Amino acid sequence: MTMVTRSIRLALAAAAAALALPALAQMAPWEQQLYDAAKKEGQFTVYTAHYDTETIADICAAFDRKYPGVKCNFVRTTAQVAFQRLQQDLKANLAVASVFSSTDISHYPELKKNGLLMPYQPHNLANMVDSLKQYNDKDNRYWVTAAALIAICYNTSLVSEKDAPKRWTDLLDPKWKDKIAIGHPAFSGYVGTWTVEMRKLYGWQYFEKLEKNKPQIGRSINDTVTMLNAKERWVAAGPEATTLLSRDKGNPLAVIYPADGALLMVSETGIPKNAPAPNAARLFVEFLLDKPAAEVQVKDHSLSVVKGVKVGPGAKPLEEIKVIRPTEEEIAKGIPEVKEQFRDTFGI
Amino acid sequence: MSARPEAAALAPGPSVSLRRRWRDADKSAWVWLVAIALLLLLVVNPLLRLLVVSFQQPDGSFTVANYVAAYSRARYLEALGHSLVLGVSAGTLCLVFGVPLAWALSRTDMPGKGLIWVSILGTFIIPPYLGAVGWILLAGPNAGWLNRAAVALTGADKGPFNIYSMPGLVLVTACYSFPYVFMFTKSALDLVSSEMEDAANILGAGTLRTMRSVTLPLVLPALLGAFILVFLEAIALFGSPALLALPGRFHVVTTQLWQFFEYPPKVGVAAAYAMPLLCVTVLLFWVQRRLTSRKGYVALTGKGGERRPVQLGAWKWPLLGWCLFVCTLSFFLPMVVICQAALAKAWGRGFALDNLTLANLRFTLFENTLTRNATIHTFLYAGAAALIAVLLAMVVAYVVNRELVGRRVGGVLSFLTMAPFVIPGIVLAIGFYAAYTHAPLLLYGTAWILILAFATRFLPIAYANSAASIRSIHPELEDAVRILGGTRLTAVRRVVLPLLKRSLAGAFILVFIPGTRELSSAIFLYSINTQVLSVLLFDKSDEGNFEMLASIGLVLVVITVALILVGFRLLGRDFMLRRTAA
Repeated sequence: MTMVTRSIRLALAAAAAALALPALAQMAPWEQQLYDAAKKEGQFTVYTAHYDTETIADICAAFDRKYPGVKCNFVRTTAQVAFQRLQQDLKANLAVASVFSSTDISHYPELKKNGLLMPYQPHNLANMVDSLKQYNDKDNRYWVTAAALIAICYNTSLVSEKDAPKRWTDLLDPKWKDKIAIGHPAFSGYVGTWTVEMRKLYGWQYFEKLEKNKPQIGRSINDTVTMLNAKERWVAAGPEATTLLSRDKGNPLAVIYPADGALLMVSETGIPKNAPAPNAARLFVEFLLDKPAAEVQVKDHSLSVVKGVKVGPGAKPLEEIKVIRPTEEEIAKGIPEVKEQFRDTFGI
Repeated sequence: MSARPEAAALAPGPSVSLRRRWRDADKSAWVWLVAIALLLLLVVNPLLRLLVVSFQQPDGSFTVANYVAAYSRARYLEALGHSLVLGVSAGTLCLVFGVPLAWALSRTDMPGKGLIWVSILGTFIIPPYLGAVGWILLAGPNAGWLNRAAVALTGADKGPFNIYSMPGLVLVTACYSFPYVFMFTKSALDLVSSEMEDAANILGAGTLRTMRSVTLPLVLPALLGAFILVFLEAIALFGSPALLALPGRFHVVTTQLWQFFEYPPKVGVAAAYAMPLLCVTVLLFWVQRRLTSRKGYVALTGKGGERRPVQLGAWKWPLLGWCLFVCTLSFFLPMVVICQAALAKAWGRGFALDNLTLANLRFTLFENTLTRNATIHTFLYAGAAALIAVLLAMVVAYVVNRELVGRRVGGVLSFLTMAPFVIPGIVLAIGFYAAYTHAPLLLYGTAWILILAFATRFLPIAYANSAASIRSIHPELEDAVRILGGTRLTAVRRVVLPLLKRSLAGAFILVFIPGTRELSSAIFLYSINTQVLSVLLFDKSDEGNFEMLASIGLVLVVITVALILVGFRLLGRDFMLRRTAA
């Protein structure tokens, strides 16, 4: 590095520090303390399945802006891969991840049972949307940091808003024969949870009737977005966020929040016991429960877990949507059962 | 080893004996030994772990419960049956697609060879996942373009094509695997000189009869090798079955395996479930050996031999028609779909001038550091892996074919080299992870773990190709060097390698390309600083972002085709100064 670029860098750093000063001034004592400790650790790594690559990149960048000197690295992958990697790390005695964010809720009780999660009581839990608070671990091992919905999605060039299904039971109408797309409970935790909830609300007959309409069964829930865009299918039990993102680009899609309730998916975050940067990890968890991170997520159509954050066009804030969700026990017990039932009814 | 025992016995002292032994020893043996050691390390280590895991309970104690769990349900067996049907049908269709194309490009005066060659390359580069999505848009039962066209033409109320079926899956699999058959057959045909065909011609055989009774039998080892490879690739594929078989309401081995990895992952059951694939592979190799063991396939001897293209006359048009038909199915049609999506603001809106944009491509290439770095990594790692795999495969193929280690050991070596292909990538990746996160090989988090994984995974392709080419060279060429006092290494360096330059390049491409699109092992082994495109593509598909998916795929195809064309330009003509088609 030449002297010139170095001095420019120094000047920039000074400017950044000056800009950050008001923020620093506002820091609560606990936050300042965490920040100081995190700075000594320098950097940390997040294993996350919560967001797409761009969103987690934006969140990390926002974190680096708010807390200069603590570098946020991330490995974005699917829930099973993230979990598998964490376990392999533990087995190999490698401390890599300081923060673990899976979308598979069964991962956390397992990790907790084996004493692999660090306890912590985030100060920012008070900011959380009230309906989500029940899903935090009561022993403070993991906290809800992301939420998403399964709703009714449709292609607006094929279906008018007036004709679109308004409730989950509307999908059983014979007029949707050969026109519905859904995912597979064995390949998607979202679909598994949705299947458990539908069975709870309407009994397994719901799926026997649905089969009369010959739905197309894809692998992941996001495949339904592709099927709607391709006009191969007209309506879907699909992911709200991905559908709205695709609609933002100009694709002819829309979302209906069903009157009998959109299915709520919550995803938690924990701090592994062997986290190489525990203070940075705590600071990051606090950050995820704060407005700057929520604003980034809302921009990418993820739901905000923080109260009072404005949402984008076409979406509703979580506080205003009727949501449904089975209990953790119902999910844990129900998913293996519905996988078998699903195979009996749909042959796959 | 050629140390003379009588010389050692007569020697006055141990030091002299040692020195003499060293002088007389065939030093090339060290190269073979190193290669064999490397092979054991790369292949046996993960495979052995897999076998152990299949007999283990989670706590490590011995059990056969995994096998009971894997085979006690009709549902699981059904999936195995589907995979076998898929493998055999896809392999057969690949031969139907690939062999005429290879013959046309290698041996005839058919026009338009350049175009066909580039589109086969392109086909090979398109990630199968992307090709499958392309085919859904083309032959989806409700809105596929081909079905809509058929409806418009015939007035029927439903189109005839349904991609969500076993025939659909076979077609898509064959489209993205036939390049293996093509490359194998072509590199074998490139070594056959016209003299043998002339002999048949003189004896009164026509072009067809000559091809049937002389040319094709000569390339039989290559055909069988390619068939096995396609069979294995077809049963190990996950992306296209997940997209096509599930909506078609049937399972194959890989979609079933996926479920064993659902939480809590049943790695032991998955390993047990993968074992029949290993057995089928052993069986296929045995059949291949039986069919080819007692015949000679030497096509290249010391006498040079000229190669002339077969004059097809009017027949060149139907042949060109078939080539174009295959390329249309595998490349042109899906490419239209991919380009439409890559250049669209919102692909769901279809073709429209105001829907066109270069923003996706610009973002992929210039604005997004993630994709830019991933592109660089992808080509670097795939290149390094291809180099390692080709070198190793070449050495093993040479050792086995020239029987430098004895027949039995040779058989084991060649099986080991082919074995990684049958283990589904996701299972193999776990073996790698286990193997390379312990001292002394602490490679996790570095680029090397990816490079070694890719090299191991595609070693079989390099090996099958090298073995077929080495088989076709008569040992008399090397014997000439040995007689004139050259060592074996000299013979290899000065004769075998130059002769095989083009085959080596072919083998390199055959590893390089799958390396650029390999997903199943990469996803477990990449880290923050070693991101590759295949993982990024998978993320995009997981995110339902088809515009970005298509533009990354398009970038991948264009860059790889360009790299390979430049590479071939640099390689130029081969050793015998024969003109080679490209």
